Amino acid sequence: MHSSLVRIQNVFGYFTSVAFAVAAAVAVSVLLSSQTPSASLELKNVQVVKGRPHYYSTKREEYAHVKFDLDADLTSLFNWNTKQIFMYITASYPSTSPSIPPPEAVIWDAIIPSDHAPFHPNTYIHPTSKTPSKSKSKNKSKGKPYPEGASPGIVKLSNQKPKYQITDFSGKIAERENATLSLHWNVQPWVGALVWTNTNSYGRWSGLKGGVDKFDFPSLKGSETIKKEDLKTETGAEKNRGSPA
Amino acid sequence: MFSSIASLQPRQLAAQVLNFALVLSTAFMLWKGLSVFTNSSSPIVVVLSGSMEPAFERGDLLFLWNRGMDTQVGEIVVYNVRGKDIPIVHRVVRRFGGGSAPLQLLTKGDNNAADDTELYARGQDYLERSKDVVGSVVGYVPFVGYVTILLSEYPWLKTAMLGFMALTVVLQRE
Repeated sequence: MHSSLVRIQNVFGYFTSVAFAVAAAVAVSVLLSSQTPSASLELKNVQVVKGRPHYYSTKREEYAHVKFDLDADLTSLFNWNTKQIFMYITASYPSTSPSIPPPEAVIWDAIIPSDHAPFHPNTYIHPTSKTPSKSKSKNKSKGKPYPEGASPGIVKLSNQKPKYQITDFSGKIAERENATLSLHWNVQPWVGALVWTNTNSYGRWSGLKGGVDKFDFPSLKGSETIKKEDLKTETGAEKNRGSPA
Repeated sequence: MFSSIASLQPRQLAAQVLNFALVLSTAFMLWKGLSVFTNSSSPIVVVLSGSMEPAFERGDLLFLWNRGMDTQVGEIVVYNVRGKDIPIVHRVVRRFGGGSAPLQLLTKGDNNAADDTELYARGQDYLERSKDVVGSVVGYVPFVGYVTILLSEYPWLKTAMLGFMALTVVLQRE
C-alpha cells in the first residue's frame, strides 16, 4: 500500500486532476472578462483587372485588388487566457442566385500575439511611420505587432495593400454591387474554447462596434491604365513559403 | 512473479479479464458516444504539423464540432484530402455556395504563405463541406496530445507501454 510505485501513481493522479481542474477554471473564467472591441474600416480603393492572380491560375480571370484603412482597438480582447488573436478582413458580395448565401473571401489577415506568448516568426509586424516597407528585412526581428507605444490589439493602417486578391468562382467580379468589407477576429486561448467575432453583446462581452464598410466593385479596367505595382499584394510573415506544408 | 499468476484462482483471473474488458469497452463507448454527439468521425484530433503555428503546435489536442454545416470564413476545419487518410487542420479563407448549392471552401494554414490548392487531390480546387470536412475546431488543450505523436513515430514505445501496463496489472493483484 505504501510502495514507491503506488506513491508515484497517487502523485501523478493527483497532479492530473488538479491540472484538469485549473485548466477548466481558466477556460470558463474568460466569460468574466469585459470586452469592448471597436474598429473603423474604410475602403480606400478597389480595382478590378483581368489576369492570373494566383500561382496556380491556369486561365485569366477577373480579380479585385482592394486597399483599405483600418483603425482597430481590440486591446480589451486580450485577457489572461488569450494566446493570440487572428484578425482578418473579408469581402463578401451577394451571389447570383437568391437561394445561395453571399460568397466571402479573406483579403488580409494578421496574427497578433499576446505579450506573454513566446516569440514566433509568423506574427504580424505593424508598419511604423518611420520605416518604409523596403527596409522590412532589417526590422523583422524588432518589429512589434502594434504601433509604437501601444499595446496588442491596436492596429492603425492607412492605404493598406491586401494580402490576397478577390476572385469569384465564375471568374467575373466586375460591377458586382452591395459588397461588404468587414473585420473579424478569432481569439486563440491558452486553453479552452475558441471564439470568433461577436456583434451582439453577451454579458460582459460587448459586440464589435464598427468595422464594416460597403462598396461596389467597379468595372473592369484595361491593362494599359493600371501599373503593375498598384496590384501588388502585401507579403505576410508566414514561415512556409512556396508549396503548402 | 510467475508463481503469483499460478496461485490465482480461475475465478479471480476471469474477474480480472472481465474488468479489463469493461474498461476498454467503456472507453470505446465514450469515444463513439462523443462521435455521435458531435456528428464527427473523429471528434478529438491531435495536431500533427506546424502549419498552423503559432496557434496550434504539434501535439495539441483539438475538439471538433461537426453540426455547424454553414462553416464561415475564419473557422478552423479538419479535413481529409480525398484518397488520403491524413487529417489536415487549416483555416477557411474562402467560401462560396451553401443554401441550395453544396458549400465549397478553400483553406490555408496560418503558417503557410500559399493556400491549400496544391494539397487537394488532383482536379479538386475546393473542399466540399459535406464530404471532405471532419469537423470544425471549437476547443483546444495544449500539448497533451504529444504522447500520440511519440507513439506513432517511435513504435517501440507502444510495445513498451503495453508491456508496462500488463506488468502493473499482474503485480497489483498480489
